[in-house]
Amino acid sequence: MGQRDERQKTEIPPGTLYMLILKTLANGAMHGYGIAERIHQLSDEVLQVEEGSLYPALQRMLIKGWVTAEWRPSENNRRARYYQLTKAGRKQLGTELSEFEKVVAAIHRVIETA
Amino acid sequence: MTTGEMWRRLIFFFRRGQFHRDLEEEMDQHVAMKAQGHLDLQEGISPGEARNAAQREFGNTLLLREKSRDMWGFRWLEILLQDLRLGARTLRKNPGFTIVAVLTLALGIGANTAIFSVVYGVLLQPLPYRNSSRLVVLNETTPKVGTVSVSYPDFLDWRAQSHAFSQMAAMYSLGFNLAGVSQPENITGDAVSPNFLSVLGVRPLLGRDFEASEENPGTAPVLLLSYALWQSHFGAERSVIGRTITLDGRGFTIIGVLPPNFRSLDKADVLEPIGVWATNNPSVTDRGDRGDMTILGRLAPGITLTQARAEMDGIAGRLAKEYPASNDQFGVRLRPIRDVFAGDMRPALLVLFGAVMFVLLIACANVANLFLARGAARTKEIALRVALGASRSRIIRQMLTESFVLALLGGILGLAFAIAGIHAMTRLIPMDMLAGASVNLNGTVLLFAAGVVVLCAFIFGLAPATHATKPDVQSELKEGARTASAGAAENRLRGALAIAEISLALVLLVGAGLMMKSLYRLLSVNPGFQTDRVLTMEMDLRTQQYSKVPAIQNFWQQVLNRVRVLPGVESAAVGTDVPLTGNHSRTDITIEGMASSKPGNWPHPDYHIISPGYLRTLGIPMLRGRSFTDADNKRAPLVGLINAKIARQYFPHEDPLGKRFMPGHPSVKHPPLWITIVGVVGDTKLYGLANPARLEVYIPFQQFPDRDMNLLVKSGIDPAALIKSIRGAVASIDKDQPIFAISTMNQLRDDSVATRRLTLVLLGLFSALALVLAAIGIYGVISYSVVQRTHEIGIRMALGAQHKDVLRMVLGQGGKIALAGLAIGIVAAFALTRLMTSLLFSVSASDPVTFGGVAVILLLVAMLV
Repeated sequence: MGQRDERQKTEIPPGTLYMLILKTLANGAMHGYGIAERIHQLSDEVLQVEEGSLYPALQRMLIKGWVTAEWRPSENNRRARYYQLTKAGRKQLGTELSEFEKVVAAIHRVIETA
Repeated sequence: MTTGEMWRRLIFFFRRGQFHRDLEEEMDQHVAMKAQGHLDLQEGISPGEARNAAQREFGNTLLLREKSRDMWGFRWLEILLQDLRLGARTLRKNPGFTIVAVLTLALGIGANTAIFSVVYGVLLQPLPYRNSSRLVVLNETTPKVGTVSVSYPDFLDWRAQSHAFSQMAAMYSLGFNLAGVSQPENITGDAVSPNFLSVLGVRPLLGRDFEASEENPGTAPVLLLSYALWQSHFGAERSVIGRTITLDGRGFTIIGVLPPNFRSLDKADVLEPIGVWATNNPSVTDRGDRGDMTILGRLAPGITLTQARAEMDGIAGRLAKEYPASNDQFGVRLRPIRDVFAGDMRPALLVLFGAVMFVLLIACANVANLFLARGAARTKEIALRVALGASRSRIIRQMLTESFVLALLGGILGLAFAIAGIHAMTRLIPMDMLAGASVNLNGTVLLFAAGVVVLCAFIFGLAPATHATKPDVQSELKEGARTASAGAAENRLRGALAIAEISLALVLLVGAGLMMKSLYRLLSVNPGFQTDRVLTMEMDLRTQQYSKVPAIQNFWQQVLNRVRVLPGVESAAVGTDVPLTGNHSRTDITIEGMASSKPGNWPHPDYHIISPGYLRTLGIPMLRGRSFTDADNKRAPLVGLINAKIARQYFPHEDPLGKRFMPGHPSVKHPPLWITIVGVVGDTKLYGLANPARLEVYIPFQQFPDRDMNLLVKSGIDPAALIKSIRGAVASIDKDQPIFAISTMNQLRDDSVATRRLTLVLLGLFSALALVLAAIGIYGVISYSVVQRTHEIGIRMALGAQHKDVLRMVLGQGGKIALAGLAIGIVAAFALTRLMTSLLFSVSASDPVTFGGVAVILLLVAMLV
């Protein structure tokens, strides 16, 4: 148990934020803080989601109908707003994942052959 | 955007209050959870420190909330609603300012809308024809008279020889006596070429159009009814097709009805084919007979008006060479059909439109000044908003919204004024000048009003808003003290506005002054006859019983006998072509003993057929010799009168009495009809007060009877009271005889100057309004600057200045503004009144008296204020 180091401020690669959030929610409904924490944890503390990007992204997803939100009691006996993936959101996740994988594979090919 | 998305956005918009609260709470919770996370991971820090750290990491909550909200895309609408609410609240809190500003704007916007509705209706409204810009009205011209009608043989030659026009149609103005109605009446009609409607691109609403064969003499009498006549006389029944009506004692079959929006050049009630008019009509082959015919032509594709003019000039030239007796020096005049409808009113309307725009600018300047004053009071509020992070453009946008709300209120009230104004104006404009134009608050006019509202909001809102948010103004204020330099820029702006107002007001006043002088000069012109208490009315004898001359003469004589004994009648007479009625008959004459010159130089006077008493009734002075008596009948030698102009021009050194003249010129066909001159009468302004006198001859109706005459009655009592008894008298002679065109000579004279009079009334109104507004404007500037400079004045007085010194300082400022305004105004007026010259009468556009007088008035007003 030690001091927490200054968190790594590695930026989320552009265009992948939505995918990361959707994937996180695929595992279950979560509130905003929880989503950011989860991404940070799962990436071994490499990826840091800024609140400044998180909330606008969540709004966008609400507009597009990829997620819904509702108030539920939270851990500390207060209530928090939990976001839930919708069917459309699941579909969007699938699309973004396959797109991402296509791009990553292409980059790999360039790096390995060049 | 999918429907789902649109739906969600809409729901957000209507539930946004709840949404904002949710978001705030959600972010609060986020920070709390973050703080908890810090507490969990770091021993030894206080909850407060944890909270602070968490908040810092979170960032600017407020900004993030706004950014999140913006994702939903209604930001602009929210901002607009916010601004509107704020603007409305501010206006409510300053009721004095709001009322004054709204009223000022309403007057400006209302006047503009009213004038524009007339401009639109008369000048701009699309004519109900196909491609009306390709339609041209053709007339003949002669240097002796100007624009005249076209003769039928000329029309046929034009049509045959012209290539510039793909189609031509003739139009002959007529009147008909309608029988079979409760009170006999006279209706107007046109005899037209069968292709008349197709040249215009109009189809009958019911029934059929004329056929090509209906151009030839011998055509069966058929009619197309105007929509208005169909409604008023035939109950708008479709069964009217095939019915017969009696006009001039003849039966006409109705074959169709014209559409409701059809506008003819002379408000015709019916149309008949020209073949009916041509039947047994000697005018058809008389090339010199130019009765009442106008030609309508449609330009061929690709031909310009200039090319058409050139071609027609060529054709007229050829005809002049080929038929010198009838066509020498006759030319062609081409006018786009739009000009014929609008023509006379166009200069006046344009001047009025410019004038009313000036009034609007003055009104906006006043409101801008009000805004400047208010802006000064709100600088603290604005400084605070700037400190809170509002951008300059944001604040300007909000102030502009406020201006817009004000302009909108002004516009709504202005519409009410406009409705009243339109109502009043349409009563002042004579019906035939409008020629069927619809002057009302229609879609285009409303759109114009909306445009004016927006324009106003920018004019009076932008400058003060920009000024109030200027960074240097802000910084000066934040330091607390109002130094002189902060006020200087503002004072310059206000001063500039006041100067502009004075200049505009001066231009308007000069215009009004010139018009007033013009109208005064015009009405002072001696018309050559007297218009007081003279009644005039027309009767056309058309039925079978009047086919013989004795019957015609008998009718008129009986009318005179019976009317002369009516109570209240001083004198009565009949005559053709009474002055100011717009009817004219002219003929060439040959004076015995004069060398026969080229046909183009023959004397071409107007002629009047009159009864004894005509000159007395109209008050035309007898200069030499005698007028007609009952002894000048058909058994007596032919006699005639000439007017002074003929005497001066053709008998300059001799006595015209006893000399002879004849109508037309001696030829084998017509045996000479020599008329002996027995008297010389005064000139009359036959063609209107503004036009010069013409050559005129008079002949007795007993020697040259005419079926269409005017009855003139001079009465000792109010003429209108006599109408009923005159009708009775005529009815006792012939109960089916219509009487029409009933008017007083005074009314005719007023109608002849109606456009100028209307222009004067409106210009006077506008300039008075401008003067009041400008005075208010100057007052505002000076009183405000005094308030501002109280500090300075106090210091000066403490240092020993007297009251009069201070007064001089204040007056001096006002005087400087007034003089600057006068100078600019005079220059502008000089340049702009040039545009009015067609409206002026014997007054120069730079009349120094008017300019001087107005300058003095304005100076006085400025000083008083």
